[in-house]
Amino acid sequence: MPVCVVGMLVDFELIQRAQKGDAAAFNELVLAYRKRILGTIGRLIGHPEDVEDVGQEVFLRLYFSLDQLRTAEVFEPWLYRLTANAAYDYLRKRRRRMETRMSDLSEQQVVLADAMAGGKIDRDDGERKRIRDAVGSLLGAVSEDDRVLLTLKEVEGLSLRELGKIYHVKENAMKVRLFRARQRVLKAFRASERQAARVGSSH
Amino acid sequence: MQSNDFQNDQPNEGSERLSALFQAYRDVCPDPEASPNFMPQLWQKIEARERVSSVFGRLARNLVTAALAVSTLMAIAVSIEHSRSGPLPSETYVEILAEDHARRELGYFEPVRIEPVADQR
Repeated sequence: MPVCVVGMLVDFELIQRAQKGDAAAFNELVLAYRKRILGTIGRLIGHPEDVEDVGQEVFLRLYFSLDQLRTAEVFEPWLYRLTANAAYDYLRKRRRRMETRMSDLSEQQVVLADAMAGGKIDRDDGERKRIRDAVGSLLGAVSEDDRVLLTLKEVEGLSLRELGKIYHVKENAMKVRLFRARQRVLKAFRASERQAARVGSSH
Repeated sequence: MQSNDFQNDQPNEGSERLSALFQAYRDVCPDPEASPNFMPQLWQKIEARERVSSVFGRLARNLVTAALAVSTLMAIAVSIEHSRSGPLPSETYVEILAEDHARRELGYFEPVRIEPVADQR
């Protein structure tokens, strides 16, 4: 079962002090959430080399938008919203860069097929890389919206209620959105499984 | 925790394997430790952004001040011009137009002056 990651790491007073412009309080806030946010970003974007840059962008946006936060209670959904937006912006920019470099998605499909052909999931390094590549390729085949949403739900383990708060959408609407996104990924997953079976039988 | 509730409502071929793959992905991607440069770089970025916004803020304030000065000067110039040109007529614009029109109309009814033709002989 995915781990539920949302839970306050700091008290409201610290957030209120940071809102009033207390640099030390803001520093403490960043230190408290840094590891968790960097982990989420890493799983959202799938490029470890850019995780810190995106993480700094998240906390930069937090610094300049803290005064808009109405109550300290909504701090975490707010932070996750900033994280999702920053990851989305990064993925969109990256996709645009990739599109200018190569318009061939078949390579991505081959990577995924190879990863899927690896068989049973173990925990050695090769297997870890294979899992990362498989999920990266799978999520790379859908839109940035679907990627971010599904990662937050399936990998980060956020509940529908938490996602509703992050996306400012009612739970039922979130459920529909999630269902559609999952169906699209599932379709890509089944296609990759079929391709993996073909690759496996040809070897 | 509701993470798998929804997908269980919609059993699909491969759905469980996909969930297992996502779970495995979560397990092989732990939260990383930040580099020692993370905080210094973050504060550098914050200060750089603050500098840019303060430059734009100053520019905006200067523009507003200049615009206020220009409009004050224009207001003074207009009021001086107005005081020089004397009082405004008491009639309305339509009345003045009507009066002018009537004066022009009267021109048709003025007596024709006949110049005496000089005797050529």
